[in-house]
This record gives sequence, structure tokens and C-alpha cells, in this order.
Amino acid sequence: MDIGSISTKGVVLDQAQQVIAEEYIWTEGNPIAAVKSLLGSLKESLGKLNEDVEVCAVGTTGSARKLAGVMLGADAVKNEITAHGVGTLSRYPDARTIFEIGGQDAKLILINNGVIVDYAMNTLCAAGTGAFLSSQAKRLGIAVEEMGDMALRSLAPAKIAARCTVFAESDMVHKAQSGYRKEDLVAGLCTAVVTNYLNNLGKGKVIQPPVVFQGGVSKNPAVARAFEKETGFPVIVDENSHLMGAIGAAILAQRAAAGKVFDFRAAERTFSTRAYECGGCANQCEVVCFYQDGVLLDTWGNRCPNYDRKKAALVS
Amino acid sequence: MKMKIGIPKAFLYYRYGELWQTFFQEIGCEIVTSQDTNRAMLLEGAKDSIDESCLPAKIYLGHVRSLIGRCDHIFVPRFENFGKNDVMCDRFMGLYDIVRNVYPEASLIGFDLAATEHKSQWQAYLGLGKTLGKGAVDILLALRRARLVQEAADQKRQEQQTGLFQENGIKILLAAQPYLIHDPYIGQPLAAMIREQGAIPLYSDHCCRRQCRQRALEICGNLYWIMNKESVGAIAMHRHQVDGIILLAAYPCGSDALVNELVLRKVKDVPVIQIILDEQQSQAGLATRLESFIDILKERRRATA
Repeated sequence: MDIGSISTKGVVLDQAQQVIAEEYIWTEGNPIAAVKSLLGSLKESLGKLNEDVEVCAVGTTGSARKLAGVMLGADAVKNEITAHGVGTLSRYPDARTIFEIGGQDAKLILINNGVIVDYAMNTLCAAGTGAFLSSQAKRLGIAVEEMGDMALRSLAPAKIAARCTVFAESDMVHKAQSGYRKEDLVAGLCTAVVTNYLNNLGKGKVIQPPVVFQGGVSKNPAVARAFEKETGFPVIVDENSHLMGAIGAAILAQRAAAGKVFDFRAAERTFSTRAYECGGCANQCEVVCFYQDGVLLDTWGNRCPNYDRKKAALVS
Repeated sequence: MKMKIGIPKAFLYYRYGELWQTFFQEIGCEIVTSQDTNRAMLLEGAKDSIDESCLPAKIYLGHVRSLIGRCDHIFVPRFENFGKNDVMCDRFMGLYDIVRNVYPEASLIGFDLAATEHKSQWQAYLGLGKTLGKGAVDILLALRRARLVQEAADQKRQEQQTGLFQENGIKILLAAQPYLIHDPYIGQPLAAMIREQGAIPLYSDHCCRRQCRQRALEICGNLYWIMNKESVGAIAMHRHQVDGIILLAAYPCGSDALVNELVLRKVKDVPVIQIILDEQQSQAGLATRLESFIDILKERRRATA
């Protein structure tokens, strides 16, 4: 399972690492609900298969990997870079470069002889990621899914600065007011994402083919085409390009399997979280408490173990 | 009664801590240091700073603030340069005036260190001692003793680190300003995370500073910020003894922004990442970047083994 800021992805792999069930839903700021709903749909798809399926290991990745990992008693809880690398290498063992653009993160992964040797990730801000595209889509009154095809219809893409969302927005408004058509603006945005990505993450890095492009934004064909134009290499977009993180997490779980069968009833339990500011010392950590059926399972965010346990044990 | 001198435990405390403490004690003062940096101090410091100020400068103000009312004078020195091409960041030049204007109620003592204007270390400490009413001989003896204590402490840290370079585990050089690396609230949690993941953090400032300044020339011939020279020199010295390098920077540090970019472009034979720390830095983002980096270093080892 890959629980990202914007979308939550889940796959079930068989022993040969082929996808036998998959699901992709919006996280909508509620990872617990997303994981539950995803488990439900995966169980349903498995039920439609002709044979009985036992899930013998669970892996989580993405920004809510820890939360979901605790919820599901995961065998592997791994960062996105490693999960994406492992997932892609299982499909494209010769891949040398992975472009990954998700909701709030953008990553560049460089591979040599099947080993991840270097990576770059956006630093403090989310300019040029999926969040940037979806906020601009909203502004233009179109669905983010339509952006790619619309952009491909443009004959004269507008030049838009994408270094910063705030500048891009004013740039775009200015272009719109001066008479550019919507498809030209969208095409400009898609190109801007690519130039921004290559300027930020790609600087000083040698990009070698085969290049694989994945993450939610890879579903946008105009961005994929802009990458091909800018790098001069063909860019592979797998039909499961949005699921590579989840596939990687599943493979990592397979390697780490503890040998217990996963119970889908995990989804039926009540999970809740509560955040509070610990007043134990001057660090005032924001402690997140995670409960299963009202019982404290885990906490995070605390810099030391001396958080207020009495306060943490209370679910309100 | 002994005079109480407050020393903010931030910025150059992590370079001259032993020297300052010994010096003041030797001339007969009592020392009050601020506590280890914590979130409350950072927030207080940030509130008293202009928002464009850098993270460690905000932390510094938090430390100064916490000392007000707990001592007779707070020690805020001004460092300008150690020679023509060995300058300090402007922040250290303006620090005394910034503190004086932000906290007019605090009594400050300090000195000006600017070798190009004939304000050497001896002269700086001589002036400082005189404002506290001490005689020249006492001051110079105290400074000599203080320097020996600092040198011995630096030497000990270098030796300990030399031992770590011989270890077998994954070794990561943290190349950064000492006040970032050793700050208990911003740099040390990162070092702890590195250790938790089974790797060994090594520090650029626990290397011989004189040698570092020399070796920095191998990477760049015309750096003039002395502390950046030292962290770059540590990279030149140890790049082949470590598995990876983390460049730590605080937002929005000008010299680090420039010099780290230079290192990223010039150092190609060892994995390097840059981590930028800010007030809002969430531990989750930091953990993802660090965990991925260490995964890569482990994989590289496995592949070459």
C-alpha cells in the first residue's frame, strides 16, 4: 500500500510478483479512512478471482506509511525512494533513471546495474508537483485528469515560470488576460512542471536511458512528452506507473514476510488518532497518538519517551 | 561576589565554547550558559527576529533572551575576519548590534575581531578583559590558558573521530557549520536518526581546521568564508573514507546556499545530498530523505562487495 498525500494506492501481488488486484483512491486528508476503503475494494476484487487467496505479507510506503504500517501490522514499512526503485526494477530491470512526480513530492532516482546509486528530492516546497498542477487546474476550472489531453491540443504553448507556485499563478493569470487560450495555458503549465523538475532535481545529474516516468503526474501525457523533448530520450510510462510505489512495498514485504496470514478484518476495527502538544518540557512536541478500538497502539512526533502517558491514553 | 557572565549556547559557542568558559573563569568570573536549544527558545527567538533572518540567528536570539536577568553581562562577540580571505558571514559582524537593538535592556560585553583592521585575537580579548577591570598580564595569562584548553578539547574530538573512520559500518560525513551540526534541537536529532539506522555520523568540524582550510583548495580555490572553507576541506580530506556526505544547511543561509551548490556540482565520486533545515521542518520529511539515502549507501556497499 502506498499512502500518499493526495492518493492512496494498493496492489495485491502473487508469488511471481504479478498484480492480481489493484485500487487507486483519493486520500482526502484522511489516511485511516482511505486505507480502510482500499482494503475493502481489494478484498472484493480478490473475491472475484477463481481461487482462494491468502495474503501473507503487507508492506506500506508513502507519507502515511507509518500510520498505515501500525494499522495493518505491516511486515515492511519503507520510504518512497526505495519502494519506487524496487517496484520499477521488478518491471524494468535495465532502467537507469526514474522520474517520479507525486502529490507533494518529486523525486529523481538514478540506477546503475540495478542498484539505486543516487537520488534527488524536492526540498522545502511543493512547486512543480501534482499539487501545483491540481491547484492550477482548479483555477482554470478543468479536471486535473483532462489537463494532459487538453495540453496536447495546443499549437502555441504559453511560457509560464514554474519556479514558484505564486509566480506561476500570476504569470498564468497575466497570460490568460492577454488572450492565450486555455489549452495553451495548460500546455505551458505541463512544460513548466518539466523544466522546473529538471532545473531543481536534475541539475548536475547525468540522466541516462532507459528513463521510466511514474507517479500520479505520469498519467498526464503532455508532461511525459515534455520530458522526452527536454531530455532527448524516450520516456517509458508503464500502465501501472501510478502503482510502482505500492508494487515496491509489496515486493519488500514479500522479502520480509514473517509468515503470518493477513486478516482483512483489520479494516473493521476502529482506528483513531489524536494530536496534542506535550507540555512535559520546553520542546512542546506535537505528539500524535494512534488508537485501535480505543487502546493506544503507538505515538509519534515525540522527541523523547517522556510524553504525558495519561493524556495520551485518553481518546476524546 | 563574582561577576556573572552569560554565554549563549549557540553559534560560535560550538567553536569556542571551552575557550570562552576558561577565559572568563581564569579572570575570576562566574559563567552562566543558556540551556540546550529547545522549541520554546526557537519560537521566542523567531518572534524577536525579522523573518528573513537565518534559523541559527533566530535560535541565538532565543538563547540571549533566556539569559536576560540571570547574569550581569551577556557575552556577544563580533567576528569579522581572520585575514583578507578568511572572512566570517555578515551575520557575525552584525550580531552585537542586532542583539543590542532587540534587547536594549540587556547589558552586553564583547569584542571586535577583524585581523585586517589590526584587531587580532590578543587585542580582542585584551580589550574585553579591560572592560571587566582586569590587568593586562592576568588577561594574557587567562587567554593563553583558555587557548590551551580549547586546543586540547579540539584535539581530543579529532582523535575520537579518527577512530571512527576505522569502523566498518556505513559512515556519513555531516559537512556543515558547527552550530548546525551540534545544536541539540536541529542538528543532533539528525545525527541520532543516522545512528538509529545503523550508520555512523562524522562531523566536518571534528577534523583539523588548519588542514581543512588548506585542503579546501582542492575543491575550490577562491572560497573566502572561513567556516565554509573548513567544511569543504573536511570533504576533500575524507571523501574516500566515507560512504556518503550530507550537506546540512539552514534556511536561508547565503554562504551555505552558494557553497553547498558548488560542492554538489564538483564532488562526483561519492553520494552527496543536501538537507535544508527550517523552523517548520517536519521530522517525517527528514526521516524519508535520510532513510532513502542510507538505503542507497547500503545497496552500494552490497553491490561493490
